[in-house]
Formats: sequence, structure tokens, C-alpha cells
Amino acid sequence: MNVALMKTKAEQALTEAFEASAAKLPGSAAVKARRAEAIGAFGSLGLPHRRIEEWKYTDLRGNLKDVLPPAIHDETPLTIAELIVALGPLAHVDAHRIAFVNGHHRAEFDDLRDAAGLEVTTLGKTLSSAPTNVADALTKSDANGAIAALNAAFMTDGAIVRVADKATLAKPLVVVFVRAGSAKQTVTVRNFVSIGDAATATIIEAHVVLPGSAIESQSNALTEVSVGKGATLHHAKVAVDDGKCLHLADWDVVLGADATYRGFQFSSGLGLARNEINVRYAGERGKLDLSGAYMARAHEHVDTTLIVDHAVPNCESRELFKGVLDDHGRGVFQGKIIVRPDAQKTDGKQMAQALMLSEDAEFDSKPELEIFADDVVCGHGTTSAELDPDLLFYCRSRGIPEAEARALMIESFIGEAIDKVENPELHTALMAFAVNWLSNAARG
Amino acid sequence: MLEIKNLHVKLEDEDRVILKGLSLTVPKGEVHAIMGPNGSGKSTLAYVLAGRAGYEVTDGDILWNGESILEMQPDERAAKGVFLAFQYPMEIPGVAGLTFLRTAMNAVRKKRGEAELTTPAFMKIVKEKGEKLNIDVNMLKRPVNVGFSGGEKKRSEILQMALLEPTLCVLDETDSGLDIDALRVVAEGVNALRDKDRAFLVITHYQRLLNYIVPDKVHVLADGRIQKTGGKELALELEKSGYADFTGKAA
Repeated sequence: MNVALMKTKAEQALTEAFEASAAKLPGSAAVKARRAEAIGAFGSLGLPHRRIEEWKYTDLRGNLKDVLPPAIHDETPLTIAELIVALGPLAHVDAHRIAFVNGHHRAEFDDLRDAAGLEVTTLGKTLSSAPTNVADALTKSDANGAIAALNAAFMTDGAIVRVADKATLAKPLVVVFVRAGSAKQTVTVRNFVSIGDAATATIIEAHVVLPGSAIESQSNALTEVSVGKGATLHHAKVAVDDGKCLHLADWDVVLGADATYRGFQFSSGLGLARNEINVRYAGERGKLDLSGAYMARAHEHVDTTLIVDHAVPNCESRELFKGVLDDHGRGVFQGKIIVRPDAQKTDGKQMAQALMLSEDAEFDSKPELEIFADDVVCGHGTTSAELDPDLLFYCRSRGIPEAEARALMIESFIGEAIDKVENPELHTALMAFAVNWLSNAARG
Repeated sequence: MLEIKNLHVKLEDEDRVILKGLSLTVPKGEVHAIMGPNGSGKSTLAYVLAGRAGYEVTDGDILWNGESILEMQPDERAAKGVFLAFQYPMEIPGVAGLTFLRTAMNAVRKKRGEAELTTPAFMKIVKEKGEKLNIDVNMLKRPVNVGFSGGEKKRSEILQMALLEPTLCVLDETDSGLDIDALRVVAEGVNALRDKDRAFLVITHYQRLLNYIVPDKVHVLADGRIQKTGGKELALELEKSGYADFTGKAA
């Protein structure tokens, strides 16, 4: 008897979309072979669903009804002025830039002048000429599973970033993925970030939309990161959309000895989002600080799923994720910390908090500590709360009207997470995104 | 002029009656102290004046400059000049002090029909008034009251008061948790604001504060009513004899 689940319409559509577009997707013969394997793997895995523990709260199989066609090539007209509009507050961050429109590199928007120590190429070009070993490296991922398989099958482009050993980048690099045009489509991208030993860099991955574009969209974005020995990477992802997009994102991070990784993710206006972050310590004394802020209203759903793997001793991890949930907005937090038997002196702390602005909002939080070593300090906490009436009164007693006081309180709540961002311009931009989200509510 | 007339207040969610016919008048330009034992209703009076939710006024009225404020929201009262310096000033993580002050000042100015402040004008006023209270602008770049000592929090309350330019200042146990040096700075800040157009209601458990902020009148609040009114010497008497006379009467 066949016990496999019956394929859903979406699963069938994905396989068919691959068959229809495989010949047109970029890549050498070796890459094409890997893509075919990936879609095969997806075929047997299917879309993740709620009976898979890691997807318990985000039933992609149930939620994904219609698959949008892949954005195989792109000629959407876009001006630099429009790109700036799409970037919104992020446009004020003084940074180098590499830009992608609907998942395809647009060299005219790049700004990589005077970027000593920084080398940026594109995945699209690399795929086209990749011999077997490169094809393997580009399609393989630490994150196995259906979403990564889909990413390997459909990826069109992305940034390949290398920061030289000992280099300290003077400016951040913004990798911008802008969605534009009226076509409803799926954008699939993959980035590789490699920070050399003792180097320091700030990299901002932005997923933004040009106002007036198709409301519906789907994206699958995977970023592989390796941070060299003693290096420091400040890494941020900003995903801001119009409320109807499906955003599947994954960061896979490997930290070298004595490396510091500070990751931050901001999400707002995402219809259904799955932000996965996997971090593995490859050397001792690694330091990790992961944090994020997300805002959801209407029926938006934002899932943050972390796996932090303390594979070696003497490493530190900190996580702080805060969500603001209005209407039927739903936040999901899953934080798994694995402390392997040898990983003594591990120091891990995790906190997930939600601010509930509506009785219909939902927050599901699942911390998971899997500790196999005995000399460790690990803790986690979760809170969900409404706006503090005492704090509201305090603000109003200073003359601040109720709506403004509420907005200030929400900023205060979310600001505590955004405060983790050290780049002041990025910090300002993120606060502006949060305020924009709030003022959209005021417009009703 | 503040006129509190036969004020009866109970807790909204409980049957407990806290103020039982409190009457009090504070003319402009005067500083009145309210002293009383714990549980006498001092903080309730402060909160009811500022318009905090959770209290029900079952009888009586509060008039400020002849106008009842009972139906007004807390922010409307603030615009009318009412200011409460909290016993426990709240911390607002994630909101910079300067942002908070500017939001509050502009909200109040807007309601008072005044123009919003430009950034340079705002910074100038904050610097000027902050200096008098030993509050450096850098301190105000940090989130409101977060990580502040007890003294810093109280000074930041008085700075807010100085910036919002209220005409009725209610100080709820402003001396609690202050050492003598902090107390002096806070009192100087308050005294600097004494003005013929401004009324003060200073609520305190101890006489100590009144050495620094010398009141025109002292009222003893016990069991939800003003039990006795006198001059500043009444505070000294209370310091000696305690509140036993009044609580005894109350029981």
C-alpha cells in the first residue's frame, strides 16, 4: 500500500513549474543536474506540514494553495529613484550596494566603489560556468529539507560576498532584493557570505517592494554564512512587504573560533513568513547574538525558528526576539539550543516576547534546550503581554494623547530588540520601519 | 485655583472606599502639603487628580480654575496644566528620553494652541533646564528612566515638570528613596518653579521634604478626609507626635 501523502495542488504545481522552466534557469550542466536532484528530493519530501514537529505552528502544506510561477528572467523597468523609494528608510544607510530586481542582478544599481577588502560577485554568473565541485557547493546547504531543496531547484541569482582576512569594511554592504512590477511570481535567491579571519563587516540583506507592484508574491531566500576565526559579522535581514507575500528565508551560519556574529531580522507586512536561522559553532569561544523584531496584523503570520548548535566548548549565545501582534496576527517562535556532550562552559540565554494588541492575536513559543553537557549555563524565557496600562497612563499624564502614547509604547517594546543593532543608521532605519507600520494602522 | 469639593472615591473593581468627603482649596501661587499615614488616601488623591483609570468618583468634584476636570482624559488635564510627579517614575525601555520629552512638549503645546518646537529650540530649552537639575543631555539620549538611580528618576520627573510648564503641580512622595543631596537638588528644582500663577500640592509622609520645600499650608489626611489644616509648623508637630491622634480618631 502506498503510504505517501497525496500530493497537494501546490506540490504538483511546483514540480510542473520546474519541468517547464528547468531549461531556462541559469546553470552549467553540473548545476542543472543538481537542480534536477533537488526537485526530486522535494518531490519525495513534499511541503512541510504541521505533523512535522519543526513546522507544527506553520502548516505550509495547508497554507500554500497557489504556487506563483518562478521569475526566470526579468526586464522590469526600474529607475534608481524607484529603487530608493522601495528601500524606504534603508536608503539613508550609507552603504555599498548590490541590487537584484525580482531575483536578477541589476549592475546599474550597484555601488561597490572604494570597497577595499570586499569582493562581490553574483550567483547567476557563477552558476552558468560552474564545474561539478562548484555546483555541489552552490546547491548543497546545511539546511536540508523541502524549502532548501526548492531553493536549489529554482534559485536564479544572489550575492556571493567575500571579505578578505583582516579587512575592516568602512561601510556596510546592502544586498537589496527589490520586488517590482505587476507580475505575480516567485523569486528564489541564494547568497553566500564568507568573512575572512579577523575581518569585520556589516551586511544588510533587504527584501523590499516598490509600491504599486503586484500585491501577491512568493520568495525563497537562503543565505549561507561563514565567519572566520576572530572575525566579526553584523548581519541583518530586513523584509518589508504589503501583507500578502509568502517569505521563506533561511540563514545558515558557521562560526569559527573566537568569532562574533550579531544577527538581526526585521519583518513587517509579510503574509506568511518563515525565518529560519541555523548556527553552528565550529571553534571555541564563538559569540553569537541573534535578535529580531517582527510586526504582524490582519492574518499575517511570522515564524522564527532557530537552531543554535553548541558543538564545541566555551561558546556564548544570546537571543532576543520581539513581536507586535495586532488583529489576527500570529507570531511563532521556536528556539532550539543544542549543547553537545563536549560543549562545556556553554553560556546560552534566550528570550522571546510578544506584545498582543488584539484579543484575536496569537503567539506560540517553543523553547527547546537539548543539553548533553553538565557544566553549562542555559536559560530561556517567553512572555506575552498587552500594553501596560500604567505606562500608558504615565505617558498620557505628560499630555501625550492615547493613540500617540500607544504608538510610543509599541515603539518602546520593539525598540528594545532594535537596540541590539549597532550601526546607528540601520538602527534609525529600523525604527522608521516600525513607526511606518504603526502609522499604517492609524490610517486604518 | 484648585478646589476639591467633598470628594468621594472608591476603587472601581472593589467596594473599598478610599476618599470619604475630601475638601481642599489651593489658590494659585501657594504650596500646600498633604501629610498623612500610609493608607490614608494620599496617592489615590494624586492619581485621581491626574486622571488614572481604576478609580470611581462617587460624589464631589474637582475644579481647576473653575472648570471640572473629572471627565477629562489624563492628556487633556495635562494640557490644562495639571502635572503629577510620580512616586515611582516609570521606565520606558526603547524610547529615548529626548524623544519622550519632545513628544510630550509638542502634544501639550499643540493642545494649548502653541506652535511645535523646532529641534534647536527644543534642545536649547532641555539643555538649559536640565543643567539646573544636573541632568546632562547625554543622559536623556538613553531610554526614559532606564538604569537611572532613584535620585536620577526624581530629577527627571522635575525636568519634565519644568519643561511642560504646568500650573498645578502635584508631587507624590517625591522625597521617597532620596538621599539628602538628591533631595536638595529636587527641592531646588521645585522651588525654582514656584510662581504666582502656579499652585503646588506636595504629598509626603515625612516632614523632611518640607524643610526644603516650605509650604504655605499643611493638611493632614487620614481616613479619606482632611483632618486638620495648619501652617508649616503643623508638619513639625506631626514629626513629634506622629499620626496616632488622627488614625485613632479614624478608627
